[in-house]
Amino acid sequence: MILVIDALNKDRFGTVLDDVFKLRARVFGERMGWDVNIQNGREIDEFDELDPAYVVSLDDSYNVIGCARLLQTVGPHMLSDVFYDILDGEPPLRSVTMWESTRFCVDHNRLGRGKDKNSVSYTTSELMVGILEYARESGISDIITVIDPIMDRVLKRSDNTPYGYVGKTADMGKVKALAALIDSTEERISRVRAFAEIQGDVFVSEDEVEANIQPPIHLDMSDSLREYCFEQLESANSERERAAARALQQAIAGMAQSRRGINA
Amino acid sequence: MDLIDLASTPEGRRDFVGQLHDVCEKLELDYASYASANPVTGTVHAFTNYPDAWKSHYMEHELHMKDPTLKAASRSIAPVDWKRLEKDTNFSKVFHQAHDFNLPDVGLTIPIRGPFGETGLFSVSSTLSLPNWKKLKSKVIGNLQAAAVYMHDRVMNSETIMQTLRYPTLSSREIEILQWVALGKSQQDIGDILSISPRTVEVHLRSSREKLCAVTTAQAVGRAVSLGMIDPG
Repeated sequence: MILVIDALNKDRFGTVLDDVFKLRARVFGERMGWDVNIQNGREIDEFDELDPAYVVSLDDSYNVIGCARLLQTVGPHMLSDVFYDILDGEPPLRSVTMWESTRFCVDHNRLGRGKDKNSVSYTTSELMVGILEYARESGISDIITVIDPIMDRVLKRSDNTPYGYVGKTADMGKVKALAALIDSTEERISRVRAFAEIQGDVFVSEDEVEANIQPPIHLDMSDSLREYCFEQLESANSERERAAARALQQAIAGMAQSRRGINA
Repeated sequence: MDLIDLASTPEGRRDFVGQLHDVCEKLELDYASYASANPVTGTVHAFTNYPDAWKSHYMEHELHMKDPTLKAASRSIAPVDWKRLEKDTNFSKVFHQAHDFNLPDVGLTIPIRGPFGETGLFSVSSTLSLPNWKKLKSKVIGNLQAAAVYMHDRVMNSETIMQTLRYPTLSSREIEILQWVALGKSQQDIGDILSISPRTVEVHLRSSREKLCAVTTAQAVGRAVSLGMIDPG
């Protein structure tokens, strides 16, 4: 199931978003060896500060199993400001009806092979359907997506072949990246749905997710420490600072727990 | 934060409001408005075809300071149906007052993010029932996106806004440092050349980036060059 998190609802889904950043660290930093900045086990860059929308795939237990990040192409986005190597010196496409999708990934640790619901293949298609249907509903006709050649093959294999490419394949750290174009037409959406046998509404309600995710960790610590942690979270000015504040909170809560273990 | 009614400028009377009427008529909507906050000065420029009585009430009570169709919607990348804003405490504050003027609380706002980091907001509202609104919305959403970016470009190219955008106020030190960056010097080099610490160089660069609404230094250099503030190196 798919949950869309943006600046308007991210306060309700802080832990989900935190898991998104952790998944990205594992996938792009460790597995794919991209040149990304990882701090506290979370991959966060400057575009996460621009209020993007995150399309998040959750499994039946509401764990994050996939995600992608969307930005408007008329404003600052990765192809115009970071991935310009791909564009080979040409100006980026800017269109109000085109969004850019970056950091598309699924969790290979949690998902299996094959085509059933808990597979890499199904989740990839479901995430794609989530992006395309969210875009379509918003009046967006096209997605430009920065992907690696492996992802490009995955798209082709799952009846979701890009209709075009922009620029050239460029070196990104140890791997290559390219910009593919995908439309959000009914035809494509039904092809992807048919390939993965996805039926019904893929979107889950915000209330359902909120009712089922882990409540914020119980903080077994002194009032002053708890207050301090809360203040750190409140005064965080960026996603990176917020993630660091959450990590500190968890570390302190963990310390308090292990101390209790020793005492017992 | 000031609110400027663009319809009060000669250019605005001629163009902006007429276009809103056209959009409403073509797409069967009741009211439309456009607003954008200037990224440099924070001033909100707006125009609307709402009744004058509401317009003066809105400006007099500075409702733009809390209106969630401006504040919250500007942080979304997708059109925001006002239904999504109902939980915002300011929603009822603004729309209770709108109700007294017989104005609908059904509508949506399309945020447009511009290359300068500015955001334009195009809002439309309707007196339709919710189910009919949903149908209309999916039919016209593509046209609304197109109308939104058209309005935004028109306003951003209008003199009032472009003047502040065209000439962001960079200090001579900021310009000097950007010029050295454009010539390929590192922050350390620039510090040595100007006899200031690399950290001071960084602080000036950060400030220049913000003034030029740039994410990266390379982007700031690009904008400074295109604005004629520095030479391409």
